[in-house]
Amino acid sequence: MKATLGIFALAVGASCAGVGIFVLVMGLVTHDERQLVVGRRFLFGVLAAAAVAAGAMEWALVTHDYSLKYVAENNARATPLLFTVSGLWAALEGSILLWALVLGGYLAFMAHRFRARAADPLVAWANVVGLTVALFFFALMLGPANPFRRLSTAPPDGRGPNALLQNHPLMAFHPPLLYMGLVGFTVPFAFAIGALVTGRFGEGWLEDTRRSTLFAWGCLSVGIILGAWWSYEVLGWGGFWAWDPVENAALLPWLTATAFLHSVIVQERRGMLRVWNLSLVLSTFCLTILATFLTRSGVLNSVHSFTTSGIGPWLLVFLAIVAAIGVGLIAWRGDRLRAPGRIDAPISRESAFLVNNLLFAGLAFVVLLGTVYPLLAEAFQGHQLSVGEPYFNRMATPLGIALLFFMAVAPALPWRATSAAVLRRRLLVPAYAGGATMLIAVALGTRSVTALLAFGLAAFAVAGVVRQFGAGVLARRRAEREQWTRVLPRTVASNPRLYGGLVVHLGVVCIALALASFGTFTAKRDVTLARGQSATVSGYRVTYLGSTNHKGSQDTTIKARVDVHHGGSDLGVYAPAIKIFPNTAEGIGTPSVRTGWLRDVYLTVVSSPNQRGPVTIGVRINAMVLWLWVGGGVIALGTAIALGPRLRRTIRRPVERVLPPPVEPQPSEEPEAVPV
Amino acid sequence: MTRRSRRTYVAVAMCVAALGAIIALVVVLSQNIQYFRTVSEAVAHRQDTSQFRMAGAVVNGSIVSTRTGVDFRVTDGKATAAVVQHGDPPQLFKDGAPVVCEGHWGAGGKFVSDRILIKHGADYQPPAVKQPTATTR
Repeated sequence: MKATLGIFALAVGASCAGVGIFVLVMGLVTHDERQLVVGRRFLFGVLAAAAVAAGAMEWALVTHDYSLKYVAENNARATPLLFTVSGLWAALEGSILLWALVLGGYLAFMAHRFRARAADPLVAWANVVGLTVALFFFALMLGPANPFRRLSTAPPDGRGPNALLQNHPLMAFHPPLLYMGLVGFTVPFAFAIGALVTGRFGEGWLEDTRRSTLFAWGCLSVGIILGAWWSYEVLGWGGFWAWDPVENAALLPWLTATAFLHSVIVQERRGMLRVWNLSLVLSTFCLTILATFLTRSGVLNSVHSFTTSGIGPWLLVFLAIVAAIGVGLIAWRGDRLRAPGRIDAPISRESAFLVNNLLFAGLAFVVLLGTVYPLLAEAFQGHQLSVGEPYFNRMATPLGIALLFFMAVAPALPWRATSAAVLRRRLLVPAYAGGATMLIAVALGTRSVTALLAFGLAAFAVAGVVRQFGAGVLARRRAEREQWTRVLPRTVASNPRLYGGLVVHLGVVCIALALASFGTFTAKRDVTLARGQSATVSGYRVTYLGSTNHKGSQDTTIKARVDVHHGGSDLGVYAPAIKIFPNTAEGIGTPSVRTGWLRDVYLTVVSSPNQRGPVTIGVRINAMVLWLWVGGGVIALGTAIALGPRLRRTIRRPVERVLPPPVEPQPSEEPEAVPV
Repeated sequence: MTRRSRRTYVAVAMCVAALGAIIALVVVLSQNIQYFRTVSEAVAHRQDTSQFRMAGAVVNGSIVSTRTGVDFRVTDGKATAAVVQHGDPPQLFKDGAPVVCEGHWGAGGKFVSDRILIKHGADYQPPAVKQPTATTR
């Protein structure tokens, strides 16, 4: 019944997409506006169908209907409700369904947002592209990734989700956010293709998709950070990012999308970088498909295992088609994509943006190469190999430092050309702040060049942001005579994109600080302790008090009780644990973390205590990890600000005048505070 | 300087920078590649002293704790290799466990390992020794 409903919904979704494409293309070819207006409605149909299918799956999950193969494999009667619901994205088929649902949401948003312009060929082409992507995902679900496959006999109980996925509530939020990010890039992609086909690649399509892109980017950023947090809290290896292909898969589109968010500004202001922007949108979308391919086809285990899911070849073919169409369209339109403007001076906002883009593209290439190299080597040479973390760290660190530098400097550079006086006025104080921070860090004993540069540039960037906020607020206060409490929110509202962007930069500074400190100041040691013994790791004394065994219905949990002392104060008893599942060799460690503003104490059970024997406890004193999560929050806040509406004019206090002034005076802004 | 000659300089500088970046990329990449071999493949490449990962299962009863870690043997059913591990083995290291050892061939034909990874079975089935590839940290 649920399976029938689900399959029916998928079939309706696929037909909606297919018929919608047909109607829209016919309308475009015959210039029949009525068909374009009708065709738009099919985007809502896609959302409705995906929602019904996802609803049927959730219904089956919640009622533990084990006649469905997917439910039997990813749910058990003992699974808590939260992880029953999140079972929708616990495995391949369900996550494709979630992908389709999120895509349906974005398409419906597109159809609603551009309802007045449904007859506009640009919008109609974008609708066609969106429906085509939806059709592909519905076809996947009707073919190789069918979530509603039935079992001939329903087992009495299911296998339950992968134990790692039901260990922490973050798993319920991280994948949907990631998907809202990845799928959201379909909107700018659809409009980019529409712009290429219609030949209207001015700045219109950028303005149309600005908010969708930004929203998707924010979701992806937060999703990546939550994933790192989950890895840190659950996996128990002490870190949060291992350059694992699954992590890289989400990072790659983030890098190109971040580059795009910046280069868009150059096109809007100066009309330059048109081909570059189209290429970035195209690569971002391709990388989201590649991400699905890498994470969902099983290709990462081995090239040879990717036949097991059958979805791999589909995704590869789709990726190839998208890339070919995109590149072909850009080549076809190449002659008309010439930029009207050019870069006038090497030190200007636009050239800083250009360098920033090259750095982001370079970083994306480095990560992409390291991620797919093992696949290529296995496919073409037959060797199985892996690319070690040092490759990523050594390549990404200098690029990251350079990006931090440009992030600190670029917002202060004026467009077109600059003078030494302007640079001195805007950059001298931040530069002093950065230099002083570096000196203090050296005095306090920091010797790592990377960390020193990161700290200095972080201070530089923060001082720059504060200066820019201060200048904006002061200018506004002078001009408008507003109260201090109102002037800050109003300044922000006068240019949410600029100030939201600057807040995002503050979040990035938090993350950079955390990464640099974590890499430099983290101390770790494995200590083997008998009961009652203690050991000291960089000032923290850990004492092993004993362990408890707890037999659950599905697993055995061994908890070690560890007392932590620092300086004369008792920080309490922590209980790192290890969970052992009876029918597997796999055990899952649960770290116990004491979170602090500057240092986390991170305890894991490295080897389990056998009866009364000694236990080996992994002790890590991790520096400033909390700031990663804080940075994620600040980025989310900044994105939310930048998404906000722009306050065009201030509403003045009603003043009794006989004659209104003929021209409303524009709120004066500091010249640099005009849109970035 | 004329506009044209300046553009030439910029173009040349960018080419040089790109070339340098590509060389750095290739060098760092080639330094950090680790081959992944089953025990029998590893035994066949015994003359190669570079770092690689060796996959197999722990031979029952072969684990001996030492001062610096553990000694044990791994097998893939066709060949067997002796492993000297420096450092503590991971949580679930035991007889029969499917492992991936990271290290290189050392003196006396023994594999010197500095990291042991337990194979991460994606669906929690009793793991096959054949080709463990995914790993936990």
